Amino acid sequence: MTVSSGAPSTPSTSPSLFDRLTGRGRPARPDHAVVVLHDVTKRYPNGKEALKDVDLVVPEGDFVFLVGPSGAGKSTLMKLLIRDELATQGDVVIDGFDLARIRRRQVPKIRRKIGIVFQDFKLLPRKTVWENVAFALEVTGTPRRQIRPAVDRVLALVGLTGQAKQLPDQLSGGEQQRTAIARALVHDPRIIIADEPTGNLDPIISWEIIQLLLRINELGVTILMATHDAQVVTALRKRVVALEDGRIIRDETGAAYHRED
Amino acid sequence: MIPFVLFSMKRAWQGFWRNALMSLAATLTMVLMLSLLAGFFILQNVLLASLAFVEQKVEVVAYVERTATDGQVETLIANTEAMPQVASVEFISRDAALERFKATQEAQGRTDLSQYLESNPLYASINVKLTSPTQLEAVTSALREDPIVRNVLNIQALVDRVLTVTSVVRTAGVAMVGIVGLIVLFIIVNTIRLAVVARAEEIEIMRLVGASDAFIRWPFVFEGALVGLLGAVITLGLLYAGSEPLGQAMVSFFNVLPLELGSVGRDTAILVTATGVGLGVLGSWLSVRTYLIR
Repeated sequence: MTVSSGAPSTPSTSPSLFDRLTGRGRPARPDHAVVVLHDVTKRYPNGKEALKDVDLVVPEGDFVFLVGPSGAGKSTLMKLLIRDELATQGDVVIDGFDLARIRRRQVPKIRRKIGIVFQDFKLLPRKTVWENVAFALEVTGTPRRQIRPAVDRVLALVGLTGQAKQLPDQLSGGEQQRTAIARALVHDPRIIIADEPTGNLDPIISWEIIQLLLRINELGVTILMATHDAQVVTALRKRVVALEDGRIIRDETGAAYHRED
Repeated sequence: MIPFVLFSMKRAWQGFWRNALMSLAATLTMVLMLSLLAGFFILQNVLLASLAFVEQKVEVVAYVERTATDGQVETLIANTEAMPQVASVEFISRDAALERFKATQEAQGRTDLSQYLESNPLYASINVKLTSPTQLEAVTSALREDPIVRNVLNIQALVDRVLTVTSVVRTAGVAMVGIVGLIVLFIIVNTIRLAVVARAEEIEIMRLVGASDAFIRWPFVFEGALVGLLGAVITLGLLYAGSEPLGQAMVSFFNVLPLELGSVGRDTAILVTATGVGLGVLGSWLSVRTYLIR
Protein backbone atom coordinates (compact mmCIF):
# COMPACT_ATOMS: atom_id res chain seq x y z
CA MET A 1 0.00 0.00 0.00
CA THR A 2 1.27 3.41 -0.82
CA VAL A 3 0.45 6.45 1.15
CA SER A 4 0.42 9.83 -0.46
CA SER A 5 3.23 11.80 1.05
CA GLY A 6 3.03 15.24 2.47
CA ALA A 7 4.15 16.80 -0.78
CA PRO A 8 2.09 19.69 -2.13
CA SER A 9 -0.75 18.47 -4.29
CA THR A 10 0.53 19.12 -7.79
CA PRO A 11 3.44 21.12 -9.08
CA SER A 12 1.57 23.80 -10.95
CA THR A 13 3.12 25.91 -13.65
CA SER A 14 0.81 28.81 -12.98
CA PRO A 15 1.38 30.92 -9.84
CA SER A 16 -0.48 29.91 -6.71
CA LEU A 17 -3.53 31.68 -5.39
CA PHE A 18 -1.41 33.22 -2.69
CA ASP A 19 1.07 34.55 -5.17
CA ARG A 20 -1.81 36.08 -7.05
CA LEU A 21 -3.26 37.42 -3.81
CA THR A 22 -0.04 39.19 -3.04
CA GLY A 23 0.20 40.56 -6.55
CA ARG A 24 3.10 38.39 -7.58
CA GLY A 25 1.09 36.17 -9.88
CA ARG A 26 -0.07 36.51 -13.42
CA PRO A 27 -3.72 36.33 -14.48
CA ALA A 28 -5.43 33.14 -15.54
CA ARG A 29 -4.85 31.90 -19.09
CA PRO A 30 -8.15 32.17 -20.94
CA ASP A 31 -6.69 30.05 -23.75
CA HIS A 32 -6.36 27.13 -21.38
CA ALA A 33 -9.54 25.10 -20.94
CA VAL A 34 -9.82 23.84 -17.35
CA VAL A 35 -13.05 21.93 -17.98
CA VAL A 36 -13.83 20.09 -21.19
CA LEU A 37 -16.83 17.83 -21.66
CA HIS A 38 -17.10 16.18 -25.03
CA ASP A 39 -20.23 14.24 -26.09
CA VAL A 40 -20.86 13.24 -22.52
CA THR A 41 -23.71 10.90 -21.73
CA LYS A 42 -24.43 9.61 -18.26
CA ARG A 43 -26.78 6.69 -17.83
CA TYR A 44 -27.40 5.43 -14.31
CA PRO A 45 -27.73 1.71 -13.60
CA ASN A 46 -31.50 2.16 -13.30
CA GLY A 47 -31.55 3.21 -16.96
CA LYS A 48 -32.18 6.89 -16.35
CA GLU A 49 -30.23 9.16 -18.68
CA ALA A 50 -29.17 12.13 -16.60
CA LEU A 51 -27.00 13.74 -19.27
CA LYS A 52 -27.21 13.40 -23.05
CA ASP A 53 -24.49 14.44 -25.52
CA VAL A 54 -23.23 17.30 -23.42
CA ASP A 55 -20.45 19.48 -24.85
CA LEU A 56 -18.96 22.14 -22.62
CA VAL A 57 -15.66 24.00 -22.66
CA VAL A 58 -14.75 26.30 -19.79
CA PRO A 59 -11.61 28.42 -20.23
CA GLU A 60 -9.51 29.20 -17.20
CA GLY A 61 -10.77 32.23 -15.31
CA ASP A 62 -14.35 31.90 -16.54
CA PHE A 63 -17.41 32.44 -14.33
CA VAL A 64 -20.22 30.13 -15.39
CA PHE A 65 -23.77 29.91 -14.07
CA LEU A 66 -25.34 26.52 -14.47
CA VAL A 67 -29.12 26.89 -14.50
CA GLY A 68 -32.09 24.68 -15.09
CA PRO A 69 -34.94 23.00 -13.22
CA SER A 70 -34.35 20.33 -10.60
CA GLY A 71 -33.54 17.03 -12.22
CA ALA A 72 -32.10 18.68 -15.33
CA GLY A 73 -28.71 17.10 -14.71
CA LYS A 74 -26.80 19.83 -12.84
CA SER A 75 -25.88 17.58 -9.93
CA THR A 76 -24.84 14.74 -12.24
CA LEU A 77 -22.64 17.15 -14.17
CA MET A 78 -20.91 18.20 -10.97
CA LYS A 79 -20.47 14.59 -9.87
CA LEU A 80 -18.78 13.86 -13.18
CA LEU A 81 -16.38 16.78 -12.71
CA ILE A 82 -15.14 15.50 -9.35
CA ARG A 83 -15.17 11.93 -10.67
CA ASP A 84 -17.72 10.82 -8.13
CA GLU A 85 -19.36 9.23 -11.13
CA LEU A 86 -17.85 8.20 -14.44
CA ALA A 87 -19.39 9.21 -17.76
CA THR A 88 -21.10 6.39 -19.63
CA GLN A 89 -19.89 7.87 -22.92
CA GLY A 90 -17.69 10.77 -23.90
CA ASP A 91 -14.74 12.50 -22.26
CA VAL A 92 -14.48 14.60 -19.14
CA VAL A 93 -11.18 16.46 -19.00
CA ILE A 94 -10.15 18.52 -15.98
CA ASP A 95 -7.07 20.69 -16.34
CA GLY A 96 -5.74 18.36 -19.02
CA PHE A 97 -6.51 15.11 -17.18
CA ASP A 98 -8.96 12.72 -18.80
CA LEU A 99 -10.95 11.48 -15.81
CA ALA A 100 -11.75 8.16 -17.44
CA ARG A 101 -8.07 7.41 -17.96
CA ILE A 102 -6.44 8.53 -14.72
CA ARG A 103 -5.61 5.91 -12.18
CA ARG A 104 -7.68 5.50 -9.06
CA ARG A 105 -4.82 6.70 -6.93
CA GLN A 106 -4.70 9.99 -8.81
CA VAL A 107 -8.33 10.85 -8.17
CA PRO A 108 -7.64 12.61 -4.86
CA LYS A 109 -5.02 14.77 -6.57
CA ILE A 110 -7.51 15.85 -9.24
CA ARG A 111 -10.03 16.63 -6.52
CA ARG A 112 -7.56 18.97 -4.89
CA LYS A 113 -7.64 21.05 -8.06
CA ILE A 114 -11.36 21.52 -7.46
CA GLY A 115 -12.92 23.27 -4.50
CA ILE A 116 -16.51 22.32 -3.77
CA VAL A 117 -19.13 24.43 -2.00
CA PHE A 118 -22.57 23.11 -1.12
CA GLN A 119 -25.95 24.56 -0.30
CA ASP A 120 -25.85 22.94 3.15
CA PHE A 121 -22.20 23.97 3.82
CA LYS A 122 -21.14 20.49 5.01
CA LEU A 123 -19.08 21.75 7.92
CA LEU A 124 -18.07 19.45 10.76
CA PRO A 125 -20.09 20.62 13.78
CA ARG A 126 -17.50 19.61 16.40
CA LYS A 127 -14.66 21.51 14.77
CA THR A 128 -14.03 25.24 14.92
CA VAL A 129 -13.91 27.38 11.79
CA TRP A 130 -10.12 27.15 11.80
CA GLU A 131 -10.17 23.37 12.30
CA ASN A 132 -12.75 22.89 9.57
CA VAL A 133 -10.51 24.64 7.08
CA ALA A 134 -7.35 22.96 8.36
CA PHE A 135 -9.12 19.60 8.09
CA ALA A 136 -8.94 19.76 4.29
CA LEU A 137 -5.16 20.06 4.51
CA GLU A 138 -4.69 17.56 7.34
CA VAL A 139 -6.48 14.75 5.57
CA THR A 140 -4.42 15.27 2.45
CA GLY A 141 -1.19 14.89 4.35
CA THR A 142 0.00 18.49 4.40
CA PRO A 143 2.80 19.06 6.93
CA ARG A 144 1.70 20.96 9.99
CA ARG A 145 4.03 23.91 9.48
CA GLN A 146 2.37 24.59 6.11
CA ILE A 147 -1.16 24.28 7.46
CA ARG A 148 -1.13 27.19 9.89
CA PRO A 149 -0.12 29.97 7.46
CA ALA A 150 -2.34 28.59 4.68
CA VAL A 151 -5.43 28.48 6.89
CA ASP A 152 -4.76 31.93 8.31
CA ARG A 153 -4.48 33.37 4.81
CA VAL A 154 -7.71 31.91 3.41
CA LEU A 155 -9.60 32.92 6.53
CA ALA A 156 -8.33 36.46 6.01
CA LEU A 157 -9.41 36.27 2.37
CA VAL A 158 -13.01 35.34 3.26
CA GLY A 159 -13.02 37.75 6.20
CA LEU A 160 -13.34 35.25 9.05
CA THR A 161 -10.12 35.83 10.97
CA GLY A 162 -12.12 37.02 13.99
CA GLN A 163 -14.39 33.96 14.00
CA ALA A 164 -11.59 31.40 13.66
CA LYS A 165 -12.19 29.84 17.09
CA GLN A 166 -15.98 29.62 16.84
CA LEU A 167 -17.98 26.50 16.13
CA PRO A 168 -20.23 26.41 13.05
CA ASP A 169 -23.47 26.65 15.05
CA GLN A 170 -22.26 29.93 16.56
CA LEU A 171 -22.04 31.44 13.08
CA SER A 172 -24.61 32.98 10.78
CA GLY A 173 -25.49 31.19 7.55
CA GLY A 174 -23.34 33.55 5.53
CA GLU A 175 -20.37 33.00 7.81
CA GLN A 176 -20.82 29.24 7.58
CA GLN A 177 -20.83 29.44 3.81
CA ARG A 178 -17.72 31.62 3.90
CA THR A 179 -16.05 28.97 6.05
CA ALA A 180 -16.96 26.37 3.44
CA ILE A 181 -15.54 28.62 0.70
CA ALA A 182 -12.34 29.04 2.71
CA ARG A 183 -12.11 25.26 2.98
CA ALA A 184 -12.63 24.94 -0.77
CA LEU A 185 -9.89 27.49 -1.39
CA VAL A 186 -7.27 26.19 0.97
CA HIS A 187 -5.92 23.68 -1.55
CA ASP A 188 -5.35 26.51 -3.99
CA PRO A 189 -7.76 25.01 -6.54
CA ARG A 190 -8.05 25.86 -10.24
CA ILE A 191 -11.81 25.52 -10.16
CA ILE A 192 -14.52 26.21 -7.61
CA ILE A 193 -17.72 24.24 -8.05
CA ALA A 194 -20.57 25.76 -6.10
CA ASP A 195 -23.83 23.81 -5.90
CA GLU A 196 -26.57 26.32 -4.98
CA PRO A 197 -24.25 28.12 -2.54
CA THR A 198 -26.88 30.75 -1.77
CA GLY A 199 -29.83 28.38 -1.62
CA ASN A 200 -30.11 28.57 2.18
CA LEU A 201 -29.28 32.25 2.56
CA ASP A 202 -31.37 35.42 2.53
CA PRO A 203 -30.87 37.84 -0.40
CA ILE A 204 -28.46 40.26 1.29
CA ILE A 205 -26.21 37.48 2.58
CA SER A 206 -26.46 35.82 -0.85
CA TRP A 207 -25.01 38.92 -2.42
CA GLU A 208 -22.14 38.84 0.05
CA ILE A 209 -21.34 35.30 -0.99
CA ILE A 210 -21.60 36.19 -4.69
CA GLN A 211 -19.27 39.14 -4.15
CA LEU A 212 -16.77 36.82 -2.49
CA LEU A 213 -16.98 34.34 -5.38
CA LEU A 214 -16.49 37.19 -7.87
CA ARG A 215 -13.41 38.30 -5.99
CA ILE A 216 -12.00 34.78 -6.02
CA ASN A 217 -12.78 34.63 -9.74
CA GLU A 218 -10.82 37.84 -10.26
CA LEU A 219 -7.85 36.10 -8.68
CA GLY A 220 -7.92 33.67 -11.60
CA VAL A 221 -9.97 30.81 -10.17
CA THR A 222 -12.57 29.39 -12.54
CA ILE A 223 -16.04 29.32 -11.01
CA LEU A 224 -18.89 26.99 -11.89
CA MET A 225 -22.01 27.83 -9.96
CA ALA A 226 -25.31 26.00 -10.13
CA THR A 227 -28.15 28.20 -9.01
CA HIS A 228 -31.87 28.91 -9.11
CA ASP A 229 -31.35 32.55 -8.18
CA ALA A 230 -32.64 34.37 -11.29
CA GLN A 231 -31.96 37.81 -9.84
CA VAL A 232 -28.29 37.15 -9.27
CA VAL A 233 -27.74 35.51 -12.66
CA THR A 234 -29.51 38.24 -14.58
CA ALA A 235 -27.78 41.03 -12.70
CA LEU A 236 -24.26 39.75 -13.21
CA ARG A 237 -24.41 39.11 -16.99
CA LYS A 238 -21.95 36.24 -16.89
CA ARG A 239 -21.88 33.12 -19.02
CA VAL A 240 -25.04 31.07 -18.54
CA VAL A 241 -25.33 27.37 -19.37
CA ALA A 242 -28.89 26.11 -19.19
CA LEU A 243 -29.64 22.42 -18.79
CA GLU A 244 -32.95 20.73 -19.39
CA ASP A 245 -33.64 17.01 -19.48
CA GLY A 246 -29.94 16.28 -19.50
CA ARG A 247 -29.15 18.44 -22.53
CA ILE A 248 -27.57 21.86 -22.79
CA ILE A 249 -30.32 23.99 -24.30
CA ARG A 250 -28.53 27.33 -24.06
CA ASP A 251 -24.94 28.51 -23.60
CA GLU A 252 -24.57 32.30 -23.81
CA THR A 253 -22.09 34.83 -22.51
CA GLY A 254 -23.38 37.94 -20.76
CA ALA A 255 -26.81 36.40 -20.48
CA ALA A 256 -29.79 36.50 -18.14
CA TYR A 257 -31.39 33.69 -16.16
CA HIS A 258 -34.16 33.25 -18.71
CA ARG A 259 -33.91 33.25 -22.46
CA GLU A 260 -34.18 36.79 -23.81
CA ASP A 261 -35.28 36.63 -27.41
CA MET B 1 5.13 6.70 6.76
CA ILE B 2 5.68 7.38 10.47
CA PRO B 3 4.00 10.81 10.35
CA PHE B 4 1.11 9.14 8.55
CA VAL B 5 0.77 6.48 11.25
CA LEU B 6 0.94 9.12 13.97
CA PHE B 7 -1.64 11.18 12.11
CA SER B 8 -3.96 8.19 11.80
CA MET B 9 -3.59 7.31 15.46
CA LYS B 10 -4.24 10.88 16.51
CA ARG B 11 -7.32 11.05 14.30
CA ALA B 12 -8.48 7.69 15.65
CA TRP B 13 -8.14 8.97 19.21
CA GLN B 14 -9.99 12.19 18.37
CA GLY B 15 -12.64 10.29 16.48
CA PHE B 16 -13.17 8.01 19.45
CA TRP B 17 -13.68 10.82 21.95
CA ARG B 18 -15.54 13.27 19.72
CA ASN B 19 -18.16 10.59 19.15
CA ALA B 20 -17.94 9.35 22.71
CA LEU B 21 -21.49 8.02 22.93
CA MET B 22 -21.20 5.93 19.78
CA SER B 23 -17.71 4.77 20.74
CA LEU B 24 -18.77 3.73 24.22
CA ALA B 25 -21.81 1.92 22.83
CA ALA B 26 -19.53 0.05 20.44
CA THR B 27 -17.08 -0.72 23.24
CA LEU B 28 -19.88 -1.96 25.48
CA THR B 29 -21.18 -4.24 22.73
CA MET B 30 -17.62 -5.42 22.26
CA VAL B 31 -17.34 -6.22 26.00
CA LEU B 32 -20.62 -8.13 26.04
CA MET B 33 -19.74 -10.12 22.93
CA LEU B 34 -16.21 -10.88 24.07
CA SER B 35 -17.50 -11.98 27.48
CA LEU B 36 -19.93 -14.29 25.77
CA LEU B 37 -17.17 -15.72 23.63
CA ALA B 38 -14.78 -16.06 26.57
CA GLY B 39 -17.50 -17.73 28.64
CA PHE B 40 -18.14 -20.34 25.99
CA PHE B 41 -14.43 -20.81 25.43
CA ILE B 42 -13.79 -21.48 29.14
CA LEU B 43 -16.80 -23.78 29.31
CA GLN B 44 -15.48 -25.67 26.32
CA ASN B 45 -12.13 -26.08 28.05
CA VAL B 46 -13.72 -27.37 31.24
CA LEU B 47 -15.67 -29.77 29.09
CA LEU B 48 -12.58 -31.00 27.27
CA ALA B 49 -10.69 -31.43 30.54
CA SER B 50 -13.59 -33.41 31.96
CA LEU B 51 -13.67 -35.66 28.91
CA ALA B 52 -9.93 -36.18 29.11
CA PHE B 53 -10.35 -37.13 32.75
CA VAL B 54 -13.03 -39.66 31.90
CA GLU B 55 -10.96 -41.13 29.11
CA GLN B 56 -7.95 -41.44 31.38
CA LYS B 57 -9.97 -43.77 33.54
CA VAL B 58 -9.80 -46.42 30.83
CA GLU B 59 -7.43 -49.07 32.08
CA VAL B 60 -6.43 -52.40 30.62
CA VAL B 61 -6.17 -55.06 33.29
CA ALA B 62 -4.13 -58.18 32.43
CA TYR B 63 -4.04 -61.03 34.94
CA VAL B 64 -0.78 -62.89 35.28
CA GLU B 65 -0.44 -66.66 35.61
CA ARG B 66 0.56 -67.85 39.07
CA THR B 67 3.39 -69.81 37.54
CA ALA B 68 5.06 -66.71 36.18
CA THR B 69 8.46 -65.93 37.63
CA ASP B 70 9.47 -62.49 38.86
CA GLY B 71 11.82 -62.19 35.89
CA GLN B 72 9.00 -62.93 33.42
CA VAL B 73 6.74 -60.38 35.12
CA GLU B 74 9.46 -57.75 34.99
CA THR B 75 10.04 -58.40 31.29
CA LEU B 76 6.30 -58.12 30.68
CA ILE B 77 6.15 -54.79 32.52
CA ALA B 78 9.19 -53.46 30.68
CA ASN B 79 7.81 -54.55 27.29
CA THR B 80 4.44 -52.99 28.01
CA GLU B 81 5.96 -49.75 29.18
CA ALA B 82 7.99 -49.63 25.99
CA MET B 83 4.80 -49.53 23.87
CA PRO B 84 4.07 -46.02 22.54
CA GLN B 85 0.34 -46.34 23.29
CA VAL B 86 0.99 -46.91 26.99
CA ALA B 87 1.00 -44.07 29.50
CA SER B 88 1.84 -46.00 32.65
CA VAL B 89 1.93 -49.52 34.02
CA GLU B 90 1.13 -50.55 37.55
CA PHE B 91 1.83 -54.00 38.94
CA ILE B 92 -0.57 -55.36 41.53
CA SER B 93 0.83 -58.42 43.30
CA ARG B 94 -1.51 -61.13 44.56
CA ASP B 95 -1.16 -59.84 48.13
CA ALA B 96 -1.85 -56.29 47.06
CA ALA B 97 -4.92 -57.47 45.12
CA LEU B 98 -6.25 -59.18 48.24
CA GLU B 99 -5.62 -56.07 50.31
CA ARG B 100 -7.55 -54.01 47.80
CA PHE B 101 -10.39 -56.49 47.78
CA LYS B 102 -10.60 -56.35 51.57
CA ALA B 103 -10.49 -52.59 51.54
CA THR B 104 -13.36 -52.32 49.04
CA GLN B 105 -15.45 -54.80 50.95
CA GLU B 106 -14.92 -52.89 54.15
CA ALA B 107 -15.67 -49.58 52.46
CA GLN B 108 -18.98 -51.04 51.31
CA GLY B 109 -19.72 -52.27 54.82
CA ARG B 110 -19.69 -55.97 53.98
CA THR B 111 -18.24 -58.75 56.01
CA ASP B 112 -14.75 -59.73 55.07
CA LEU B 113 -15.30 -63.11 53.48
CA SER B 114 -11.66 -63.64 52.74
CA GLN B 115 -11.01 -64.79 56.29
CA TYR B 116 -12.72 -68.02 55.32
CA LEU B 117 -10.24 -68.66 52.56
CA GLU B 118 -7.36 -71.00 53.07
CA SER B 119 -5.19 -69.27 50.54
CA ASN B 120 -5.28 -66.17 48.35
CA PRO B 121 -7.44 -66.98 45.28
CA LEU B 122 -6.59 -63.87 43.40
CA TYR B 123 -4.22 -63.35 40.53
CA ALA B 124 -1.55 -60.76 40.25
CA SER B 125 -2.28 -58.20 37.51
CA ILE B 126 -0.74 -55.38 35.60
CA ASN B 127 -2.96 -52.31 35.17
CA VAL B 128 -2.09 -50.41 32.05
CA LYS B 129 -3.11 -46.78 31.51
CA LEU B 130 -3.34 -45.73 27.88
CA THR B 131 -2.33 -42.49 26.19
CA SER B 132 -5.71 -42.63 24.48
CA PRO B 133 -8.63 -45.01 24.82
CA THR B 134 -8.62 -45.54 21.07
CA GLN B 135 -5.41 -47.55 21.52
CA LEU B 136 -7.22 -50.19 23.54
CA GLU B 137 -7.27 -52.82 20.83
CA ALA B 138 -3.54 -52.71 20.10
CA VAL B 139 -2.51 -52.93 23.74
CA THR B 140 -5.03 -55.63 24.58
CA SER B 141 -3.94 -57.90 21.77
CA ALA B 142 -0.25 -57.36 22.53
CA LEU B 143 -0.82 -58.37 26.14
CA ARG B 144 -2.87 -61.41 25.14
CA GLU B 145 0.03 -62.79 23.13
CA ASP B 146 2.31 -62.93 26.13
CA PRO B 147 2.41 -66.51 27.51
CA ILE B 148 2.37 -65.47 31.16
CA VAL B 149 -0.81 -63.44 30.72
CA ARG B 150 -3.73 -65.51 31.85
CA ASN B 151 -6.42 -63.27 30.45
CA VAL B 152 -7.18 -59.63 29.68
CA LEU B 153 -10.44 -58.07 30.76
CA ASN B 154 -12.48 -57.28 27.69
CA ILE B 155 -13.74 -53.74 28.05
CA GLN B 156 -13.92 -52.94 24.34
CA ALA B 157 -17.70 -52.48 24.33
CA LEU B 158 -17.57 -50.16 27.32
CA VAL B 159 -14.72 -48.11 25.86
CA ASP B 160 -16.55 -47.81 22.55
CA ARG B 161 -19.53 -46.37 24.31
CA VAL B 162 -17.41 -43.90 26.26
CA LEU B 163 -15.69 -42.84 23.06
CA THR B 164 -18.99 -42.30 21.27
CA VAL B 165 -20.26 -40.12 24.06
CA THR B 166 -17.08 -38.08 24.37
CA SER B 167 -16.79 -37.48 20.64
CA VAL B 168 -20.40 -36.34 20.41
CA VAL B 169 -19.93 -33.98 23.35
CA ARG B 170 -16.67 -32.67 21.86
CA THR B 171 -18.25 -31.97 18.47
CA ALA B 172 -21.20 -30.27 20.13
CA GLY B 173 -18.81 -28.12 22.14
CA VAL B 174 -16.84 -27.08 19.08
CA ALA B 175 -20.05 -26.34 17.15
CA MET B 176 -21.32 -24.25 20.04
CA VAL B 177 -18.15 -22.17 20.23
CA GLY B 178 -18.24 -21.84 16.42
CA ILE B 179 -21.83 -20.58 16.41
CA VAL B 180 -21.19 -18.16 19.25
CA GLY B 181 -18.09 -16.98 17.36
CA LEU B 182 -20.16 -16.26 14.25
CA ILE B 183 -22.79 -14.37 16.26
CA VAL B 184 -20.04 -12.33 17.90
CA LEU B 185 -18.48 -11.64 14.48
CA PHE B 186 -21.70 -10.31 12.95
CA ILE B 187 -22.74 -8.24 15.93
CA ILE B 188 -19.34 -6.59 16.35
CA VAL B 189 -18.87 -5.87 12.64
CA ASN B 190 -22.37 -4.39 12.52
CA THR B 191 -21.81 -2.23 15.58
CA ILE B 192 -18.62 -0.83 14.11
CA ARG B 193 -20.45 -0.23 10.85
CA LEU B 194 -23.05 1.82 12.70
CA ALA B 195 -20.31 3.91 14.27
CA VAL B 196 -18.77 4.52 10.85
CA VAL B 197 -22.08 5.27 9.13
CA ALA B 198 -22.82 7.83 11.84
CA ARG B 199 -19.84 9.72 10.46
CA ALA B 200 -20.65 9.36 6.78
CA GLU B 201 -20.64 13.13 6.37
CA GLU B 202 -17.13 13.45 7.73
CA ILE B 203 -15.93 10.78 5.31
CA GLU B 204 -17.81 12.50 2.50
CA ILE B 205 -16.02 15.77 3.24
CA MET B 206 -12.67 14.00 3.36
CA ARG B 207 -13.33 12.53 -0.04
CA LEU B 208 -14.43 15.82 -1.55
CA VAL B 209 -11.40 17.76 -0.35
CA GLY B 210 -9.20 15.18 -2.00
CA ALA B 211 -8.12 12.87 0.80
CA SER B 212 -6.57 9.66 -0.49
CA ASP B 213 -8.10 6.31 0.43
CA ALA B 214 -5.36 5.63 2.95
CA PHE B 215 -6.02 8.87 4.80
CA ILE B 216 -9.70 8.05 5.02
CA ARG B 217 -9.33 4.39 5.88
CA TRP B 218 -6.54 4.10 8.41
CA PRO B 219 -7.84 6.45 11.09
CA PHE B 220 -11.03 4.39 11.14
CA VAL B 221 -9.10 1.14 11.20
CA PHE B 222 -7.04 2.37 14.16
CA GLU B 223 -10.22 3.52 15.84
CA GLY B 224 -11.73 0.07 15.34
CA ALA B 225 -8.60 -1.45 16.83
CA LEU B 226 -8.86 0.95 19.76
CA VAL B 227 -12.48 -0.04 20.42
CA GLY B 228 -11.45 -3.70 20.17
CA LEU B 229 -8.49 -3.32 22.48
CA LEU B 230 -10.46 -1.34 25.04
CA GLY B 231 -13.26 -3.90 24.88
CA ALA B 232 -10.78 -6.73 25.33
CA VAL B 233 -9.04 -5.07 28.29
CA ILE B 234 -12.37 -4.42 30.04
CA THR B 235 -13.54 -7.96 29.34
CA LEU B 236 -10.33 -9.48 30.67
CA GLY B 237 -10.53 -7.23 33.73
CA LEU B 238 -14.07 -8.45 34.42
CA LEU B 239 -13.04 -12.07 33.89
CA TYR B 240 -10.05 -11.67 36.16
CA ALA B 241 -12.17 -10.10 38.89
CA GLY B 242 -14.70 -12.89 38.52
CA SER B 243 -12.20 -15.72 38.21
CA GLU B 244 -11.39 -16.04 41.93
CA PRO B 245 -14.92 -16.61 43.30
CA LEU B 246 -15.90 -18.53 40.21
CA GLY B 247 -12.80 -20.70 40.42
CA GLN B 248 -13.58 -21.51 44.05
CA ALA B 249 -17.10 -22.47 43.16
CA MET B 250 -15.87 -24.65 40.34
CA VAL B 251 -13.31 -26.40 42.50
CA SER B 252 -15.93 -27.33 45.07
CA PHE B 253 -18.38 -28.31 42.37
CA PHE B 254 -15.92 -30.45 40.46
CA ASN B 255 -14.36 -31.76 43.60
CA VAL B 256 -14.17 -35.24 42.24
CA LEU B 257 -12.46 -34.23 39.03
CA PRO B 258 -8.99 -32.85 39.44
CA LEU B 259 -9.17 -31.00 36.12
CA GLU B 260 -6.09 -29.70 34.43
CA LEU B 261 -6.84 -26.21 33.15
CA GLY B 262 -3.32 -24.85 33.22
CA SER B 263 -3.25 -22.60 30.13
CA VAL B 264 -6.90 -21.61 29.92
CA GLY B 265 -6.26 -18.17 31.42
CA ARG B 266 -3.57 -17.38 28.90
CA ASP B 267 -5.53 -18.84 25.98
CA THR B 268 -8.61 -16.83 26.94
CA ALA B 269 -6.58 -13.63 27.13
CA ILE B 270 -5.13 -14.27 23.67
CA LEU B 271 -8.51 -15.22 22.22
CA VAL B 272 -10.32 -12.19 23.65
CA THR B 273 -7.62 -9.70 22.63
CA ALA B 274 -7.17 -11.13 19.15
CA THR B 275 -10.93 -11.31 18.55
CA GLY B 276 -11.53 -7.79 19.85
CA VAL B 277 -8.76 -6.11 17.89
CA GLY B 278 -9.23 -8.31 14.82
CA LEU B 279 -12.97 -7.73 14.55
CA GLY B 280 -12.57 -4.03 15.30
CA VAL B 281 -10.13 -3.71 12.42
CA LEU B 282 -12.19 -5.91 10.11
CA GLY B 283 -15.39 -4.04 10.89
CA SER B 284 -13.84 -0.65 10.19
CA TRP B 285 -12.09 -1.83 7.06
CA LEU B 286 -15.29 -3.24 5.57
CA SER B 287 -17.45 -0.30 6.63
CA VAL B 288 -15.16 2.41 5.29
CA ARG B 289 -14.67 0.56 2.02
CA THR B 290 -18.19 1.53 0.98
CA TYR B 291 -17.21 5.18 0.99
CA LEU B 292 -13.94 5.01 -0.90
CA ILE B 293 -13.33 5.97 -4.51
CA ARG B 294 -15.29 3.85 -6.91
